[in-house]
Amino acid sequence: MEEELISKKELLELTGISYGQLYRWKRKQLIPEEWFIRKSVFTGQETFFPKERILGRIHNIINLKDGFSLDELADKLTDTALVNGLAFTADQIIERNIVSRVCLERFGDIMDKTKTYDFGQVVQLFTLDRLLSGGELNLDEADQLFHTLAEQTPRFGAKGWELFFIRKMGVSFFLLSAAPAEILFDKGARLVVRISLTDIMEQLNGKLNRP
Amino acid sequence: MDEQQLPDLLLTGVTGGAGGRYNKVSLDGVCKVNGNVSARMFQGNGVITVLGDAVTEELQANGKIKINGSLQAERIGGDGLVTVNRDLRGESCRLNGKLNVKGNCDLEELNGEGVFEIKGLLSAGHVNFTLHGQAKAGGIGVESLVIRSLDGGIWNKLASSIISKLKAQLITTIIEGDVLDLECTSAEVVRGGVVRIGPGCSIGRVEYLTELTVHPDAAVGRVEKNGE
Repeated sequence: MEEELISKKELLELTGISYGQLYRWKRKQLIPEEWFIRKSVFTGQETFFPKERILGRIHNIINLKDGFSLDELADKLTDTALVNGLAFTADQIIERNIVSRVCLERFGDIMDKTKTYDFGQVVQLFTLDRLLSGGELNLDEADQLFHTLAEQTPRFGAKGWELFFIRKMGVSFFLLSAAPAEILFDKGARLVVRISLTDIMEQLNGKLNRP
Repeated sequence: MDEQQLPDLLLTGVTGGAGGRYNKVSLDGVCKVNGNVSARMFQGNGVITVLGDAVTEELQANGKIKINGSLQAERIGGDGLVTVNRDLRGESCRLNGKLNVKGNCDLEELNGEGVFEIKGLLSAGHVNFTLHGQAKAGGIGVESLVIRSLDGGIWNKLASSIISKLKAQLITTIIEGDVLDLECTSAEVVRGGVVRIGPGCSIGRVEYLTELTVHPDAAVGRVEKNGE
């Protein structure tokens, strides 16, 4: 899956931040060096960013930066303890647009108003919802994935994991590994999705921190 | 870091010393430090070579200092030639002479006179620099940038017309920043909020957000206003 890129110019227009801020955040390591992707275009060299990740990150920085110094922020953005203790009801999840109603109906317990979902479950639902709405898997595969995630992700504990979704000759399967992993495939295998817990956390953080 | 327990490294003459953690490193003469070094204070006078990375709160260098690895310093005061073979990372740098960085250069403040040559990206908060010769950077991203050229006398002008390296000029591909005040700069692209293109500049394309002034002695290819 090719990640969608955004040029630096578009990014600044979209978010309203200045060049100075962007470079300052880079120096403070709030934005990882490897997100700055240099590419040749017809007007010369341009810098691009992975769109979803950088937008999520900038959103988080802007939301959090009033309360903390930039150095504290750098720790905070990679810290998962902040949100780990939270629990949500089905209504809250839908209201905050974290998981779509369809997805929650199928995999959650939408009728039970008192049921709360802990953060790990929200992460699982959010992952499913994202992949489903992106059209990357069908519902049967989503069932499979849901069970895999529910069973296996607690084993990783606080460590990050990465999910690989692979298709070969019409057969699909999932692979979970401790991040960062380097996995090589044979020729016929197609990597449909590669997503890591940090990516998901990043996007979730954005949704949760929104007032 | 417990300052009391760390030893000092004091060398004079043509000598060498081992790397490691020190409270104060003071080197005079032709000295070589074998390996990585970390110190609260690093002073070097003469020809100093560090065969590794250097981490220090304060670096004072007079003469020629070369770091084979990367350099991380809160404050840098350099008179003479400072060479870093990998990345330079720091808060403020006051320079009189030449700064040569083979990797990226991240600083909050860069002030001084002389020239710099940065292979990678110069990313800084504020840059205020007076050029004495040909300076180069792979790219520049800043909050504010002021580049001036030394108004040399007749001899300087004569010499610089023969040897192009002596001509005060900044050569880079791209400059991005909020406030840019340029002189004697040659770049492919300049993008900024408030941009002033001074005499001696040759810019391929200028993109600005709020304000642009171009000196009559500057050559500018295309101008675009952003945000409309």
